[in-house]
Amino acid sequence: MKRPGRGIACMWYPIGFTVAANPSSAVVKVNEDGTATVLTGTVEVGQGSLTVLGQIAAQELGISADDVHVVSADTDIAPMDTGAIASRTTFVTGNAVRLAAAEAKTILLEVASEMLGMEPGELEAADHRIRAKTFPDKQVALAEVAARAQIARGRPPLGSASFNPPTISMDPETGQGKPFAAYVYATQIAEVEVDDETGEVEVLRICAAHDSGTAINPALVEGQVEGGIAMGIGMALEEEILFDAEGRQVNPNLTNYLIPTSLDVPRIEVDVIQSYDPLGPFGAKGVGEPTLVPTMPAILNAIHDAVGVRITDLPATAEKVLMAIKERAEVKPLGRG
Amino acid sequence: MPRKVTEEKQAEAQQLLEAPPATHLPAVAPDSLPKAPALTPEVNKQTPAVGQRVTRPDIRTHITGTTRYIDDLSFPGMLHVKILRSAHAHARILSINVDALHKMPGVVATLTGEEVPVNSFGSTYQDQPVLAVDRVRHRGDGIVAVAAETEQQALEALDAVKVDYEPLPAVFDPLEAMDPDAPKIHRIDNVYASKVIMRGDVDRGFEESDQIFERRYTTPMIEHVPLEPFAAIALWEPDGQLHVYSTNGRITLGRADLARTLSLPMNRIRLTATIIGGNFGGKNEIRTEPIVALLAKKSGRPVKAVYTRQEEFIASTTRHPLVMDYKTGIANDGRLLARSVKLVLDGGAYASWSETTVGKAAILAAGPYRIPNVRVEGRAVYTNKTVTGAMRGFGAPQVAFAYESQMDEIAYSLGIDPLEIRLLNGFEEGSISPTGQVLQAVALKETLLMAAKRSRWREGDL
Repeated sequence: MKRPGRGIACMWYPIGFTVAANPSSAVVKVNEDGTATVLTGTVEVGQGSLTVLGQIAAQELGISADDVHVVSADTDIAPMDTGAIASRTTFVTGNAVRLAAAEAKTILLEVASEMLGMEPGELEAADHRIRAKTFPDKQVALAEVAARAQIARGRPPLGSASFNPPTISMDPETGQGKPFAAYVYATQIAEVEVDDETGEVEVLRICAAHDSGTAINPALVEGQVEGGIAMGIGMALEEEILFDAEGRQVNPNLTNYLIPTSLDVPRIEVDVIQSYDPLGPFGAKGVGEPTLVPTMPAILNAIHDAVGVRITDLPATAEKVLMAIKERAEVKPLGRG
Repeated sequence: MPRKVTEEKQAEAQQLLEAPPATHLPAVAPDSLPKAPALTPEVNKQTPAVGQRVTRPDIRTHITGTTRYIDDLSFPGMLHVKILRSAHAHARILSINVDALHKMPGVVATLTGEEVPVNSFGSTYQDQPVLAVDRVRHRGDGIVAVAAETEQQALEALDAVKVDYEPLPAVFDPLEAMDPDAPKIHRIDNVYASKVIMRGDVDRGFEESDQIFERRYTTPMIEHVPLEPFAAIALWEPDGQLHVYSTNGRITLGRADLARTLSLPMNRIRLTATIIGGNFGGKNEIRTEPIVALLAKKSGRPVKAVYTRQEEFIASTTRHPLVMDYKTGIANDGRLLARSVKLVLDGGAYASWSETTVGKAAILAAGPYRIPNVRVEGRAVYTNKTVTGAMRGFGAPQVAFAYESQMDEIAYSLGIDPLEIRLLNGFEEGSISPTGQVLQAVALKETLLMAAKRSRWREGDL
């Protein structure tokens, strides 16, 4: 008989390295036509980070994502970056990109101030224009300013900057300190069906609510969450490297080491909770790693809700669940919680 | 700013819908082909840019299967590398004989650890050899690398290598490895990294608790399984610069590691990471990069190394297995009063990212809860197993499995709804973490309530 169950789990997760410096640098060049080029030493590993960095530069310069081209992943071309690790790219590299774009913008505002007869501090870059903050009709096209800056004024709008998240080192004996600049939070609720004759667990649905600070690109946040959950399902139910007595891996292949396929991934409903971190670029924190963190306990708690057994050693394979069900059935009838 | 949908744009969208199907395009799009309009062109052109569901610039080649990964790159005269790996989990290497290797068909160059200028690397401790010279510490240790005209020839040539070993006692269980009498895997103690977090008085907290819950949780070793395995190509440019294409996710530090192992100035090395087919933490260290660089130098030709799926499992890093002992004291109303956690991380044969992992696991181990008394001790231990290192979450998924399983157990035992006990204890704006940090932008309860609302948790059973 297939028994339904549901389980909840939440978590917290930090952004960036533990205390250790993990800086990023970036260069932003505004071209004569008002488009921009970003140089970053980070690497796109499939998560869409370059798209997010482009959006951050675009936001600071008041232009659109399509107006920004991001160049990355080449030590001869790009400035240093600590890299695609520790869910740090949006927060740390994003801040570097934002600061570099702000530096380039300073030049644009100064040149525009001559054109508009206003102080640079009275101007803002928005919607492809430099305009007066309090009187938006007083404006000039950003492309025109960029061309003038470079060609007439001899001041190419260029910026470079670095960012390193602020931390406070930890006491070696008590661990007291501020190891990270920011944390994100998340909750996932899993709904499962457990077959009490085979021990097989099917995940039917996962509701995931993830805080990532400001979601620079909600579609990419959702994509990360969905990918993380797929990984979490594997860790909860099937993934395990096994060794023989001589220390030899016995399943180093995808025939015997099972990972979830698209057919194993259930309905996933993602809610992006927007908080605002004053340290993040436009309030953003990050989303990479934490996405799979609550998945395992949510599923394991749902298994317990379904058949009343608590698996404490992952993965909860069908064999392990069935064994636990049999042991429990000897004590009391099977049932919820 | 509201989205501007003009009639013109609508007409453009209509045109897109009526456009001939994609099959009219050539199977492989040449670079000169004009870019198809983005699926949602307006989003990419909107300001403000932040908050838009912008489409990725690389999405088109990903979807059409035309993204070029390292395995798709080729250079004239390029050689292929295979690596002989250890036949033992722990052994002394008495001799390595590669004489017969040079007579094998297609073999152009070979490399042993003695030829690597600085034969060690590692993100925290440089305890891992590029190629093992006098000792192997797990079965994934490489010993000899061979570059041949084809991958098959390189693979077959490995049979001609003769390695004499003197097997040493091995230890595979991290708890056994902590025993003072256990075989030592490195010159230092097997416990090579640790972290302690203490806040409040945990013993007093337990004394004041109404109930105490204790349980051990364990998690297995897990592989990242990126679709693209490790890959690297090295070639020496005419101006003497080494150019390495690699799946490395951290090129700044990758170049530093290459400069160190090869004893080259950093500006003589160019590290280019192509589009990477999945990282998940596994591609955060150098792997075959020094090997292909040296074989390219010896052969005078470009050299490529691509891991097989099996190598990806046995000779890269994996997720740390953890043994986690949780003890939690509570008041009968469900408040958490004290929690002590002991973590043992199976650190595998080399340090890699274990120090970071034990630190993160320890900092996060008590969960996102306001607990006045906390003590966490984490230790990472060498074993003769596959190296454990960086993997998505750095210890957090393991401890979350433990703290959230125990939270559930406490809730059921007290007859409190699992959602409500989390809301009762969860972090709020300004809460103090176990390391004494005042937390800001805390959205824990918002996520709890949102997920509960989405799943209709409070409306009752399924």
